[in-house]
Amino acid sequence: MSETKPEAHDDATEPWSSALSRLRDELRRRLSANDLAATETAVGPAQIDPFSLFEDLRRRIGKLGMRERSGEVDDFGLDPETIRSARPLLRLLRQRWWRIEVVGLEQVPKDRPVLFVANHSGLLPWDGLVLAETLEEAHGAERRPRFLIADWLITLPFVQPALARLGGVRACRENAERLLETGRSVIAFPEGVKGAAKTFRDRYRLQRFGRGGAVRLALAAGVPIVPVAIVGAEETHPILFKLETPARIFGLPFLPVTPTFPWLGPLGALPLPSKWVISFGEPLATPDADSAHAGDDLLVARLTEELRSEIQRQVKLALGVRQGVFG
Amino acid sequence: MTTIAISGLRTFLGRRLAERLALEAGQRVVGLDRLRPHGLAAGVHFREIDLTRPDAGSALADLLHKEDVEVVVHLAFRREPTPDLDGDHELETIGSLSLLHACAAAAIPRLVIGSSTMVYGPRLDNPNFLSEAHPLRGHPQAHCVMNRVEVERLTADWAARHPATAVTVLRPCWIVGPTYRDAVTRYFSRRVVPTLMGYDPLLQFVHEEDCLDAFARAATAHRPGVYNVVAPGVLPLSTVLRTAGKRVLPVPTPILYRLRAYPSQAQTGDRPEGFYDYLRYLWVADGRRGWEVFGRPLYSTREAWMAAISAERMRSYR
Repeated sequence: MSETKPEAHDDATEPWSSALSRLRDELRRRLSANDLAATETAVGPAQIDPFSLFEDLRRRIGKLGMRERSGEVDDFGLDPETIRSARPLLRLLRQRWWRIEVVGLEQVPKDRPVLFVANHSGLLPWDGLVLAETLEEAHGAERRPRFLIADWLITLPFVQPALARLGGVRACRENAERLLETGRSVIAFPEGVKGAAKTFRDRYRLQRFGRGGAVRLALAAGVPIVPVAIVGAEETHPILFKLETPARIFGLPFLPVTPTFPWLGPLGALPLPSKWVISFGEPLATPDADSAHAGDDLLVARLTEELRSEIQRQVKLALGVRQGVFG
Repeated sequence: MTTIAISGLRTFLGRRLAERLALEAGQRVVGLDRLRPHGLAAGVHFREIDLTRPDAGSALADLLHKEDVEVVVHLAFRREPTPDLDGDHELETIGSLSLLHACAAAAIPRLVIGSSTMVYGPRLDNPNFLSEAHPLRGHPQAHCVMNRVEVERLTADWAARHPATAVTVLRPCWIVGPTYRDAVTRYFSRRVVPTLMGYDPLLQFVHEEDCLDAFARAATAHRPGVYNVVAPGVLPLSTVLRTAGKRVLPVPTPILYRLRAYPSQAQTGDRPEGFYDYLRYLWVADGRRGWEVFGRPLYSTREAWMAAISAERMRSYR
């Protein structure tokens, strides 16, 4: 021991981990020289190294507790490490479960922040997450857009921190402005809760687009709007009807009843394997990006309505692309 | 050389700011408080003022006049809530009102008020970054925060009526550092830290030295307005606790909020919501405006937190 110590302290800048591994090697060498030499005959030639075994076990246990998770998040709470660990599952969902078909991706501008406006559906924000993943896969991690999430999801413990780490940001003007200002694309669902909470009967019928906030935002920030139609998310959690009274006990706006929830308990959170089509439209021509237009209420209302009908048209087209709900 | 009066000389910020301005910036500093602090640096002149007395306003006005004070830095706030709700209100709200009256009577050209970003309040519907223009909603269960909100309102009214005085309001977020101590750092220095199950908000800290820098600059330069004093970057609560090597005890929110006699809360006179909601929802402030005026802080949130916990570790070995 006394000989290894000065060796490990030679270089003050040496990282402790490498110093530790050198110490471990030294110990191993010495132990194998004395104690293990005696047991070698008993164990046989296939020697089990207790140190590497222990080290392996420690790493595995450490990973279980996510001790080695970076914990480094960006200013909106996105954690690349969480995204990386969720990616295999998300890829499985996208490619095998929902068999997503992407149309018109080449129309998305790659060199500047973009405001994606999509139809909203499904109780859990699968549509935002999937869209963000699709765009990250196509354009790289630094072009990953953030998806805006409704307030009622933020009230949910466990859900809110998880969504924040996956790139979800509370939907409000200040957040979207800041994201676009700092060069990050944003996915907005102007239908809001009305879109997420519509029953199966009203599927693919776009609700009112808020108060034109999305268009106003794009005009003020001078970014193009890309209309996106997402088909298939409606069938992941089809709401048959909503219950009001039991929802009050849990402090939720409503309690949805889907074919799987609450019948299957937590399994009801599993999305159904519907076939998805994501269709990107042509970037909407905004009259020469100028923040002065953002105050023009009539213009904003007209553009909002144009945008809504454009997405509705795209949704209809995309519905034609797929053969059936599960096709 | 200007004469700077600092109220709340016995508070951490008051004392350190007084000594910094007197010894490093070479200003004449008059420190005001109820009692003389022990071992005060020679450059700081202590004057006895009790802001909770009914005649505090006129007494302070006379003093400011006599000492020919040009800058008043108001830091006479509780470091942390006490169970004496009325006493806290008398000192923080009424005391500030007396100080504002005195400043008006003495025609002080520059006034610096120490507030906190806690005045924005932890709310579900907060944007991720709160600008200085955001409404001050505080938290109804945190009485000292509500006192600060009241002081901010009084100050804004007063500033509108006294345009000759340049009023600077500084709102630091949670201060951490090798020597700073308050209810928040005490919460984080527990061995087992209770948190709200299922919540992991983003937090921001500011290093004590960066906070003092901002106050020193506000006291010595003409910078009227309201500024958040925060460090760049945010840390999730889970990371904050993990880097400090704490054991975390997640408690379901309804249970924690029913524990009214919970040890750390019994000392403050507030219900648990008054503190734990700050560990539940977002209340991160946007510091860009302050950085432009006072310079970028030396420590990021992560660095400030690391400086604080490494100092804590060293203390535990002593």
